[in-house]
Amino acid sequence: MAVDSRSFAHKTWRTIASIQTGVVLLILVVILSAVGTVVLQRPVTDPDEMQSAYSPQALHILDAVGLTDVFHSWWFLGLVLLVSLSIVAASIDRFPNSWRYFSRPYKYPEESFRRALRPQKSIPIADEESGIVAAQRALHSLGFKSERVVREDHFGIFAERYRISELAVYIVHASLLLIFCGTIIDGIWGWRASINLNEGQTSNIVELHDGSTRTLPFSIRCDSAGQENYKDGSPKKWWSKLAIVENGRDVTKKEIVVNDPLLYRGVRFYQSSYGPNGKVDKLALVAVPMAPSPTSQKQEIGLAVNESASLDTETTVRFAEFFPDYAVRDGQVYLKSRQLENPAAHLVLTTKSAGISRNFDIWFPEIDGVSDNSKSPWQFQATDLKMGHFTGLQVSHEPGQWGVWSGVVLMGIGLAFVFYVVHMRFWVVPVLDAKTGTYSLWIGGSANRNRDAFEQRFADLTAAIEEELAATTKVVPREQATDKPGQKLVV
Amino acid sequence: MAQAKIEQQQQPATGMTLIVMVGLAIAFLLFMAFLNVVKSGNLLSETNLLFATLIFYCGAGALYLGFGVTGIESYVKFASLATWLGLIANTAAVAHRWYEAGHAPFATVYEMLLSFVWTLAVLTLVAEKKYHVKVIGTVTMPVAIVGVVLMQLLRTEVHPLVPALQSTWLHVHVTLAMLAYAACALSFALAMMFLIQDHMKTETFLAVTSASTLGIYAAIVLTRFEKWGGLNLVAWDPDRKAEVFLSKGVRLFVTIPDLGWVMTLTLLAVAAPLVCYGIARWKNNDSYLTVANRAVFLSILLQVMTLAMFLVRARDSRYPSLDADGLFPTTLAASPFILSGLVGGVFISLLYLLLVWRRNDLERLLPTSDNLDRITYKTICLAFPLLTLMIAAGAYWANQTWGSYWSWDPKETWAAITWLVYALYLHMRVTRGWRGRRAAYFAIAGFAVVMFTFFGVTYLLPGLHAYA
Repeated sequence: MAVDSRSFAHKTWRTIASIQTGVVLLILVVILSAVGTVVLQRPVTDPDEMQSAYSPQALHILDAVGLTDVFHSWWFLGLVLLVSLSIVAASIDRFPNSWRYFSRPYKYPEESFRRALRPQKSIPIADEESGIVAAQRALHSLGFKSERVVREDHFGIFAERYRISELAVYIVHASLLLIFCGTIIDGIWGWRASINLNEGQTSNIVELHDGSTRTLPFSIRCDSAGQENYKDGSPKKWWSKLAIVENGRDVTKKEIVVNDPLLYRGVRFYQSSYGPNGKVDKLALVAVPMAPSPTSQKQEIGLAVNESASLDTETTVRFAEFFPDYAVRDGQVYLKSRQLENPAAHLVLTTKSAGISRNFDIWFPEIDGVSDNSKSPWQFQATDLKMGHFTGLQVSHEPGQWGVWSGVVLMGIGLAFVFYVVHMRFWVVPVLDAKTGTYSLWIGGSANRNRDAFEQRFADLTAAIEEELAATTKVVPREQATDKPGQKLVV
Repeated sequence: MAQAKIEQQQQPATGMTLIVMVGLAIAFLLFMAFLNVVKSGNLLSETNLLFATLIFYCGAGALYLGFGVTGIESYVKFASLATWLGLIANTAAVAHRWYEAGHAPFATVYEMLLSFVWTLAVLTLVAEKKYHVKVIGTVTMPVAIVGVVLMQLLRTEVHPLVPALQSTWLHVHVTLAMLAYAACALSFALAMMFLIQDHMKTETFLAVTSASTLGIYAAIVLTRFEKWGGLNLVAWDPDRKAEVFLSKGVRLFVTIPDLGWVMTLTLLAVAAPLVCYGIARWKNNDSYLTVANRAVFLSILLQVMTLAMFLVRARDSRYPSLDADGLFPTTLAASPFILSGLVGGVFISLLYLLLVWRRNDLERLLPTSDNLDRITYKTICLAFPLLTLMIAAGAYWANQTWGSYWSWDPKETWAAITWLVYALYLHMRVTRGWRGRRAAYFAIAGFAVVMFTFFGVTYLLPGLHAYA
């Protein structure tokens, strides 16, 4: 029983770690993602559009299986987790082998290995030592550090470069897991919301995308916002001057634009839209008294809604109401819509003379039966109407994004190693032919990728060795070079 | 088949004359299409530069094709020269655009095509000089030509960048995308050449060619055929240089009478070789394949005729619409995909003819199949890191602009799918030792996904990447 369960566990492990499982899972991810781009997705589509695109039954089925929100469904998350598991298992399964390869490099080629290795070459040499020295010099000239490898009864040279390339694929897989971790952290602890602020408004409540609200531990204030246009009228730039208010004081200020958010305590504020909020910022007026006197003169005033100004000692004017789009019915003014279509402003002029206070309703434009414009002791001309604006901000908190970015950087490094860093190895062994009693230098090389370029390099090396050998034979007399050939073997 | 081959060896001139004639006809039609959109301007205007680009690329394409047919080395020299000249004009057009717009030309489909064609020409020259794949121009140049023609039809005014696009990351992201996609296109061309060199049967190419042209015409007829043989095209507002919309997302279609019948006729003509192929396989009788090859030839004539009729009737005329009263204008610019489909169909069929007539020469001229396999792999080794970086740069930019590095927007999702497909290719190659045919099929499928990501997603699926 125990053996059975162990073999079952072993089988499961083998299945998870196998490349087939990985491939099947990846193909599933591909298919389901593709489906997710073809079927309309709830988070980015109007409910009405969903209703009109699919019949109620179809929509019901699609909703039930989660195809209308593929990328947030439990089975898609499960699939991504399975892919991660498969990557982890496959890496654990293969890593020990690669690690052995990496940590205990194969330095002396056995005879069977020598027979099978390609590329290889044999060069006749006079004796072992001169051959080895020539090979070392040649390797050195090609930029390789060579190492003498000595076994009980034979010796040789081993040189290599970029052994780390053998482990690069694990770097890539680890980086992918790091990215997954980051996104999963964001999926659990991160949130996205939006907030609309009028100029001057402060708020600490943001609206999440599902309609609920979230209270921030600090407040955000919009000091001003604006839009710049190109000559053809299309928007060039949206900006907002924002301030973070914490415990009643401004802790940080920044002017944000579309590609440059404000970051405070892990919460980022992005510029996403801008527009008129239908509210008046300032109404500029010229006030002319009907009976000018030294105390009551023609003057220019600017009023915000509910703001009052004194015109002379007895008269004040208050900006009572503003309608972005008005309609008149039965002598009453109604708000028709919040769009700035047909605006009307309502001022109230109050005069106090001899203790009697009188009010005059002044309207722009003049509305018959409602306004007292003509009866008023002061006449007004509206010169300018400055509308207030709101700035639309996206707010997001993504605690896992550092995992994602470090994963991306790591993946870049890993891929660079995987594709462009080649682990090259060279072995040089002097071989004695028992029949003829002559020595030859066996040279072999191996590269883990880009073999055709490596063959060129190998040809360069053998050519360099032959050159070195030719040089040595010229300088060193033959008798000296062949002196005591077997001595080194004993070491 | 064998009989046809012998015929060709006896009369090599006939095949070449035909190809050159069809090539000239296409060049003429392209010229007509160009005249349709050419505007008067100074000599070094962007349109004229693009026109020069088009002429040189057409010349290069014809010369590469001539090299493919005859195997005469000197053709390649002139072909590279023409490519160089085209590249210079192309570079000037890019620079002109850059200067005029004040930003790198990556903001619209038009600008991206401009950069894509440029990259493709550069890679063609690299493949030719470095890897000695001389015939590659036969495939890449026509793709570049289709790209330039498409550009003529898409809107060309400089648009100021909307706020979201004002970022250095835009340039990084799009440059990487263009490089990656061009590398994918190259791997596709190399994979096709591998299949030729790997002695894939000519009739398999016949089936594929016929099926793809059939797909093009079936897509057109199924979506655009109107009652009584009309063909629906999108109405075009010449003042605004934009499609006419009835309401949000609903385009206004005009109906060109009789063109639907022509399309249906050509549909049958391009289906004929596939049917012949099916019969040949079913009856195990190769004589049907000879019929199929003749049918391909006939279908090319019909396709060219259809293209001509389409060009003549769809440019700057007014037609009635079923959805609204009155006549509405349409131009070629309103239907870039139908046009590129038609041109593409002719081009694929011509490539097949080239293969039928000159297979032996092609096999002699191409590098060995092992080399082609390896170069394909190397190109993908180049494309994959570029794709990775492209996605990463896009994610970083999205994080700056939209507040989230990944929104499962269709373009993002398809970029990820492309990445996964090439990742699968690499895994199969490294761990399963996939070489040769299977790897080549994979490279071809990968490029199909790339094309869908590039064009399909933009035009078929809704999403945030609305700029492109």
